[in-house]
Amino acid sequence: MGNVVQRRTRGALRRCPFEVCGNMAGLELLSDQGYRLDGRKATELRKVQARMGVFAQADGSAYLEQGNTKALAVVYGPHEMRGSRSRTRHDQAVINCQYSMATFSTAERKRRPHGDRKSTEMSLHLKQTFEAAVMTQLYPRSQIDIYVKILQSDGGNYSVCVNAATLAVIDAGIPMRDYVCACTVGFVDETPLADLCYAEESGGVSSLALALLPRGGQIALLQMDARLHQDHLEALIEAAMTACKGVSKVLDEVVRQHLQEVSVLTGE
Amino acid sequence: CLQTEKILHLKSHRGRKVRVVREHYLRERVPCYSSLCQADCENDGKVLPGDLTHYVVPDVGVVVDFLEILEFRELQGVVFTQTACQAVQHCKGRRQYNRLRNLIKDPRHDCVLFANEFQEYSYCPREKGESQEKWQTRCVYSAAVWYHNHLAGMKDVVMITEDQDAVAEYSSLNAGVYVISDFLQNFWPELQPAHELYSSISQALQEKESESSQKEYTEHLPAEILEAGIKSGRYIKGTLNINKHHDEASIMTEGLSNKNNDPSWAVLVCGNKNRNRAVHGDTVVVELLPKSEWRGKVTALSEGEEKSGEDNESKPMPTGRVVGILQRNWRDYVVTFPPRDGTQSQSRNSQRILAVPWDRRIPKIRISTQQADALQDHRVVVRIDSWESTSLYPNGHSVRVLGRAGEMETEVQTILIENCIHVPPFSDAQLREMPVNSPEKPWRMDPVQVAERRDLRETHLVFSIDPRGCEDVDDTLSVRSIAGGKLLELGVHIADVTHFVAEGSLTDLEARIRSTTYYLADRRYDMLPAVLSADLCSLLGGVDRYAMSVMWELDAQTLAVNKVWYGRTVIRSSYQLHYELAQALLNGEPAEVPELARLEPEEKDAKLAELNQALETLTHVARHLRAQRDRGGALELEGVEVRAQLDEQRNITALVPRQPLEVHETVAECMIYANHWVARKIQETFPHQALLRRHPPPRQEFFNQLVESAKAMGFTIDTRTNKALADSLDRAVDPQDPLVNKMLRMMATTAMSQALYFSTGLESQDQFYHYGLALDRYTHFTSPIRRYADIVVHRLLTAAIAVERGADSGRAIASNKELEELAQHINSKNRAAQRAQKLSTVLFQCLYFKERDPQTDPQCVADAIVYSIRNNGLLVYIPEYGVKGPVYLKNREGQVVAAGEDGSCEWQSGSLRHYSDRISTTSSCGTSTFRLCDHITVRISVRSTSSHADSLNLEIISNKPHRSAEPQQPHSQGRSQLVQEVVRQAEEAQQQAQEKAARRPKLSREEREFSQSKTPNLYSLLEEVRELALMDLDTAARVCVTSAS
Repeated sequence: MGNVVQRRTRGALRRCPFEVCGNMAGLELLSDQGYRLDGRKATELRKVQARMGVFAQADGSAYLEQGNTKALAVVYGPHEMRGSRSRTRHDQAVINCQYSMATFSTAERKRRPHGDRKSTEMSLHLKQTFEAAVMTQLYPRSQIDIYVKILQSDGGNYSVCVNAATLAVIDAGIPMRDYVCACTVGFVDETPLADLCYAEESGGVSSLALALLPRGGQIALLQMDARLHQDHLEALIEAAMTACKGVSKVLDEVVRQHLQEVSVLTGE
Repeated sequence: CLQTEKILHLKSHRGRKVRVVREHYLRERVPCYSSLCQADCENDGKVLPGDLTHYVVPDVGVVVDFLEILEFRELQGVVFTQTACQAVQHCKGRRQYNRLRNLIKDPRHDCVLFANEFQEYSYCPREKGESQEKWQTRCVYSAAVWYHNHLAGMKDVVMITEDQDAVAEYSSLNAGVYVISDFLQNFWPELQPAHELYSSISQALQEKESESSQKEYTEHLPAEILEAGIKSGRYIKGTLNINKHHDEASIMTEGLSNKNNDPSWAVLVCGNKNRNRAVHGDTVVVELLPKSEWRGKVTALSEGEEKSGEDNESKPMPTGRVVGILQRNWRDYVVTFPPRDGTQSQSRNSQRILAVPWDRRIPKIRISTQQADALQDHRVVVRIDSWESTSLYPNGHSVRVLGRAGEMETEVQTILIENCIHVPPFSDAQLREMPVNSPEKPWRMDPVQVAERRDLRETHLVFSIDPRGCEDVDDTLSVRSIAGGKLLELGVHIADVTHFVAEGSLTDLEARIRSTTYYLADRRYDMLPAVLSADLCSLLGGVDRYAMSVMWELDAQTLAVNKVWYGRTVIRSSYQLHYELAQALLNGEPAEVPELARLEPEEKDAKLAELNQALETLTHVARHLRAQRDRGGALELEGVEVRAQLDEQRNITALVPRQPLEVHETVAECMIYANHWVARKIQETFPHQALLRRHPPPRQEFFNQLVESAKAMGFTIDTRTNKALADSLDRAVDPQDPLVNKMLRMMATTAMSQALYFSTGLESQDQFYHYGLALDRYTHFTSPIRRYADIVVHRLLTAAIAVERGADSGRAIASNKELEELAQHINSKNRAAQRAQKLSTVLFQCLYFKERDPQTDPQCVADAIVYSIRNNGLLVYIPEYGVKGPVYLKNREGQVVAAGEDGSCEWQSGSLRHYSDRISTTSSCGTSTFRLCDHITVRISVRSTSSHADSLNLEIISNKPHRSAEPQQPHSQGRSQLVQEVVRQAEEAQQQAQEKAARRPKLSREEREFSQSKTPNLYSLLEEVRELALMDLDTAARVCVTSAS
């Protein structure tokens, strides 16, 4: 149980740009009938589709779509430390993550695909998530590289990256404690909404991202930088966990499907 | 875990053209909300009944433009499509959309929302090059077809549209759905009001199209620029508030004024151009003008009384202009059609009329109508449709005709509508929910309930003390000594309204909408149907009733609270006393208790002794409680003054100055105590979701006038805390003139801020304080029959008791947000009720004096007391009629009032000097001075206007107290007579008119009585008198001291 990493970014002092319930765009995020903007109900996830082993060159790779958010994850390693040797740890492997967004991933073309503050922060979060999940102690003095690229962005970038990277790590054959599944949840009209899309995220919802090791119910990362009343936090985390478990079911299916295909190919 | 499909939407975003791709999930199961459904849809909540001839699916255009017609309850089986709802939100804004949402939620209307765009088979993606209107119509049509098929063709579905092309295109497709455009004519030929509304709206729409293009105002800025400007501090957001007396508008900035507590942080907006089409109450965005254009507030007493201070006359204030409107706050307005005098611009279009709103703050509204001639001098309800930058006045359409201006019924309706009070008679469906209690079928208590409740019928002596003849008894009391005299048990038992009014029932919804019983000068509109308010909930004497009780175990010596018990009980009130009787018993005077009249003398004495004992104990306890609060700093402000006396028929025979009986205070004290303890209980159990009432401390600067006046009279008033204020007010007594203290207390009252309901989750605990009562927590618990807040508190208390017992209350109580919304709603309704009450009193005063000739009639001359001094006049109070008003000492020609030797006054040229405690005029006749608390004689006349409310005009005729030539009749009778007389006159006029018109027999008295509370009713008058006397009405509300019971 020692692997629970909780992290709050940028401190609690930073005020969220929107009022908690003030929904600036004037869009009704949850209708009286219980529908969201895109026709989902509050607890429903977007459609998840994934493929593993999309590249032959890398040790592991995966492509994952969650609604309109699409991500590509590639894993190299474990291999010897490259670059500066000083980061080497003699008892465990070092995880190196890099997050980037394709210039064409958003509605307006991005100038810098990676290296900006947001990407750096996201890379750090991914690193922390996977340090909690990958059994790094099996590979001392080595390095595991995880590269994730968002091809199309429509909300929930962090969670889609985590889910894609999980599949890639599994594809690379690196042992993990469990799937790491991530999901964002938002809080509207006293109701938690699972798996926010971009329109919802930008509509002034206080949202929370959670990465979960579903079997043990351990939290790998919990991030939230909006204002929320303390009383609602528990319900929100509860909803996030349920959503993560839903994701893990889909991922599990994808992995089994992939194994079947591979075993047919190799004739076993 | 979903079986959904994904479809892409293309959208161009604001500003730059941006391609936005959105997901869209469809599903097979979308609830249809019809009771005929064969496919087991999850229809929870409202469903359409199956016994209609057809279902109606209105097209987008119909919903957007003619929503008001769809609001008629006669139209049943309306299916709103999601497409239409979104279109309303898109082109009419959030306010109209919320109206539609409320319509759909309202259980009294037979309409549902079908989420057609999320249904797999009714959704149609927009085709390339298809116009939005075409696509929307196609969506609605396909939804109608789906509905028809879903119900297996059992129900005809009618789609109504205003678009003739759509009729031509779709009616030939023959999919079982009828597409028509003249729905009203075909299906509802007899629904006259709907037809009128229809033609009025469509005319307004046509007018809009033929609008000229000449710009009268600058365009409003788009919303994003406004948002950005507010954030950067370039613009200021606030609510536009137009002064009633001057044509001057100011913006109350919400966020800023609260923070630094500075009342001067208001932005002035001068002139129509700068106001830029904003109407009173709108949320607007202003831009500050350069400092050189800043202006000061107009403070001279030109017309009517003025609330603002006198010293900031010339100080320039921040001045700005409106650049955008965030939220329109249009409501229904009452307007008067002006008489035709040929000068109006008839040449251009004879159908357009500029109607004058009753409310002076609202601009004239342009109405297109064909009935202009018929409606001359009539009061009409209108709604504003739009106000384009090309038009000098807003465009509107008429909704309903109220009647001829100046008639009593019309004027009362006007008051109700102007305050957004809507009180239709209770519907059959609501009355069906009510239990029956008739001689044939008497109501009985449910044995199950009796078993669950604590039975106090045998053990406790319960009695009520109310005004004489009261029929809705909310509260009863009991007191007894237990544990061998060591302890006292004090009980307050309140009518258990929530037992009869289930949450969410139609009665509950209606009560929530009304929020309070409305008392007008001549009538009242009940919050609950009469069977509850006057019978089953009323804790009458000698009958078994359900109650909600709070019982304290007090130490008999120290009166410290040992234990408090809250719970539901069964009681039988033994005595229904009235105040005078109770006081007589206390004083040991001989008094006849009606309940004991038929008993044997010995038994009677024993019972009387028992009752006396209880009353004495109660008084003892109440004195102690009062002393306790006084130590905390409770204020005693000038409140209750006169009291109505009634005869057997509940007619008011006299208004006599109230003898301040101690028993009044005793009862009030017990109620305050009960309210306080209930507030503690619910706040402790639900720290974030309890409904309490707070009274914020007043702003110190409001006390300036009080302090200065007191200083001028030689007293010092300390206003730092409520305790200091109460003490210094007690000290400020002039032995020669008892009125001085009264006046000072009245000034203190006007300085108070208003007490408000709120949800505890929204304020920090130090904000809960009740300033007037000096209690840390307070709520309203003791009058559930006439206040909705009390019903909410009862429910909270029930839930709190359930939590304490460990049982889950079963249903979640309202969240903080919902409760806060409810509290706001109740607050605004209470304010509306007070305004309406005040206006109706003024109306009756005016109607009374309109009949009289001010020059000859002795009734029009009265004694008045000066209670405030202004720049160019006095504010006086006339005790005989309960009227307050301004008296000018300087007229428009610059002449001033000069008093002669005998005190009679006349206008002469001269000058005026104004001091803090007096005002003096100097003319050729010498100097005359008017001081605070001086008695003068005034003549009352009516200043009448055709399109606004009449008002009273006071004119000084002598600076000596008034001596009437006739033998003085008992004072303060005026108001009761006044109301009766006006009602009688109005009835006579009405009857005459009826006889003339139809030669019908007179309405019998009974007939008139059975319409809702038409006769001058005991309760209304009592309440009115209680709240109005000597105080301004809006200040009456602030003094919660008197409204505790």
